[in-house]
Amino acid sequence: MPELYLRLLNRILTPVLLLLAFYLLFRGHNLPGGGFIAGLMAAAAFQLQILSRGHVRVRRTIGPYLNSSIGLGLAVAICAGIVGLMEGTFFKGVWLSLDLPLLGYLKLGTPVIFDLGVFLVVVSVATSYLLGLSRASDTSARLREGSASPVRSDIHTTDRPELNVDPTRRADS
Amino acid sequence: MALSANLLAVPAAGPLLTAALILLFARWGGRTLIRHQIALTTLALCVNLVVAVLLFRATAVQGERFVLQLGAWSAPFGITVYADGLSATLLLLTALVSLAVYPFAVATIDYHRARMGFHPLYLFLLTGVNGAFLAGDLFNLYVFFEVLLMASFVLLTVGAQPAQTNSGIRYVVLNLLASTVFLVAAGIAYGTLGTLNMAQIAERLPLASPAVRTVFAGLLMVGFGSKAAIFPLFFWLPASYHTPPPAVTALFGGLLTKVGVYTLFRSFTLFFPELLLSWQPTLLTIAGATMLVGALGALAQPGIRRVLSFHIISHVGFMLMGLAVALSGNNLAIGFGLGAAIIYLCHHMIIKTALIMAGGAVELHMGSDRLASIGGLVSRQPFLAFLFFMAAISLAGVPPFSGFVSKLSLLQITLDTRHWVVSGVSLFASLLTMLNMMRLWRESFWGDYKRPSRIPSRILQSGLRQQLMLTPVAVLVLLSLALGIWGEPAFRLSMQVAQQALDRQAYIEAVSPSTQFSTRPANGLVALSGTDGMNSPQVVAGFATPTLFISQ
Repeated sequence: MPELYLRLLNRILTPVLLLLAFYLLFRGHNLPGGGFIAGLMAAAAFQLQILSRGHVRVRRTIGPYLNSSIGLGLAVAICAGIVGLMEGTFFKGVWLSLDLPLLGYLKLGTPVIFDLGVFLVVVSVATSYLLGLSRASDTSARLREGSASPVRSDIHTTDRPELNVDPTRRADS
Repeated sequence: MALSANLLAVPAAGPLLTAALILLFARWGGRTLIRHQIALTTLALCVNLVVAVLLFRATAVQGERFVLQLGAWSAPFGITVYADGLSATLLLLTALVSLAVYPFAVATIDYHRARMGFHPLYLFLLTGVNGAFLAGDLFNLYVFFEVLLMASFVLLTVGAQPAQTNSGIRYVVLNLLASTVFLVAAGIAYGTLGTLNMAQIAERLPLASPAVRTVFAGLLMVGFGSKAAIFPLFFWLPASYHTPPPAVTALFGGLLTKVGVYTLFRSFTLFFPELLLSWQPTLLTIAGATMLVGALGALAQPGIRRVLSFHIISHVGFMLMGLAVALSGNNLAIGFGLGAAIIYLCHHMIIKTALIMAGGAVELHMGSDRLASIGGLVSRQPFLAFLFFMAAISLAGVPPFSGFVSKLSLLQITLDTRHWVVSGVSLFASLLTMLNMMRLWRESFWGDYKRPSRIPSRILQSGLRQQLMLTPVAVLVLLSLALGIWGEPAFRLSMQVAQQALDRQAYIEAVSPSTQFSTRPANGLVALSGTDGMNSPQVVAGFATPTLFISQ
């Protein structure tokens, strides 16, 4: 069971991290930031989820979509390059200037779409690494526990003896 | 019809986009999904082939050069994609090989591996290989090397058999070391010449001090040479090629080392052609040793795929020999060696793939590829035996096939330049190749039928699968035959490609890197500090580094 403060921290920090990630994503064209860093930051938010809620729950919620979102990210990034063909060259930036009533002047272009693709790839790749690592650490923890308890080796000696024999006993016999 | 330079994006971006789409929908559906993946991949491979043929016709036949500056950023600042005859030849062969191996892969890859993403990985590998052939700057060359390395690492280990993982680790460690050496070379180029654009490196390198040139050339030679599996650096290849499914070995054998060979050709002809003369003894020694070690090593191997993977090494030696005499010639034209090496490369990619596929078919029929425990397949599989025999004698260099033309032209140029020893070594290596091929054929097809595994292969039970396996082998053998019969026009074409690759001035002009910053450092600094907005300390510091190394 995760600790109380971790769950509390998760509630406060996850929205902040995600907002910061989007902020970094959209300021990244001319200023430090961009899809890669934003993706890592969003993955940090997912890592916080894994720590506070356990990797099983997180895997059940987002696990099935990770591969698809890698594909989506790659496809979006390449399509941003294909849009550039409208102005004659692959990956040429195509810009759209909007004068919105409340937000003011907004300049949108294919580099933003490309960054969005990078963001999707990075966040899904990093999250699937983190999920894989948390499962690995979980398995090794359970294995350590299993070898520490001498009772278990006595229960399951029926079908696969070589796996369940306690190493100390094998030395005796 | 004039082709648009944007076509250059297709060989790298097309497979990547297809792989991305396959990944996007990989979650839904079971066996039907795999069928859709196969259809999409086939489509991508066909499009790739069409584009490669168009590019080949425009560059190698008509002598054009294509430059695509991504995003219309001019040369040293943006990403340059470049194609001439040499790149287009390799693109065409890559497209052919990948399309030929694919039916074989579809027939032999099991459902489990397909679910693990075999088909998108196939396309990722193609992206990496094509991108490396098209890269116009060192950094992107490195990136595409990594793309193909990652894809090949996963292809090598997908299925996670213990032997696969073992060989995969050796493969990835040795290849990462080679990549690191290459990265150091790129760092040296950037630190001393202030650029990573290949055209600009070629332009500035003559001004650099001899020490920088030698170190740069040596590091590139080690990095690329290890990718190409030349003599002291080939250990990753025989350690890994026999463990994955045969389709993967066929693809690797056809494509991977050839990326290294291409980059060696490109860097020596573009960056330091003068070293082709001054380093000639070293290059020829390495080439001879590679040929000999490959052929002798193959003699000692117990399995079909192990023998064939050692022969890849031996053949890389032949190509290196052609490169070493590229700028020499007494009675023959300058560039004859490179032309011979290019036609050897074509022959090798076609026939090696065919042979590994035929060997893989033998392995699948027998359940093992250990020569000692198999035999007598000729009575059960006469067509396979015929194809294997044809491919084997083509590899050994028997007349009507492409092996003869390419080996003859290489021998002509080495004899013409009076390199008696290395031409003798190449003849001896060819003889050993013949011996090995006959050994393979005799052990697996001749004699009494013996088969170590009693379990009938699933592949044997389907006629369609059999056809999917053997048709590409037959097509490749026919291609090799055609290349041998029309040897003269083919050789004329490859001479044209070689001349184009050796014309480095035309390369530089085609890319035309911006000369806003002068190559002479003193003037460059004056110009820099005089320009508005460009006199920030970082910019000056970044371009001041060359002053230390470039001699006036």
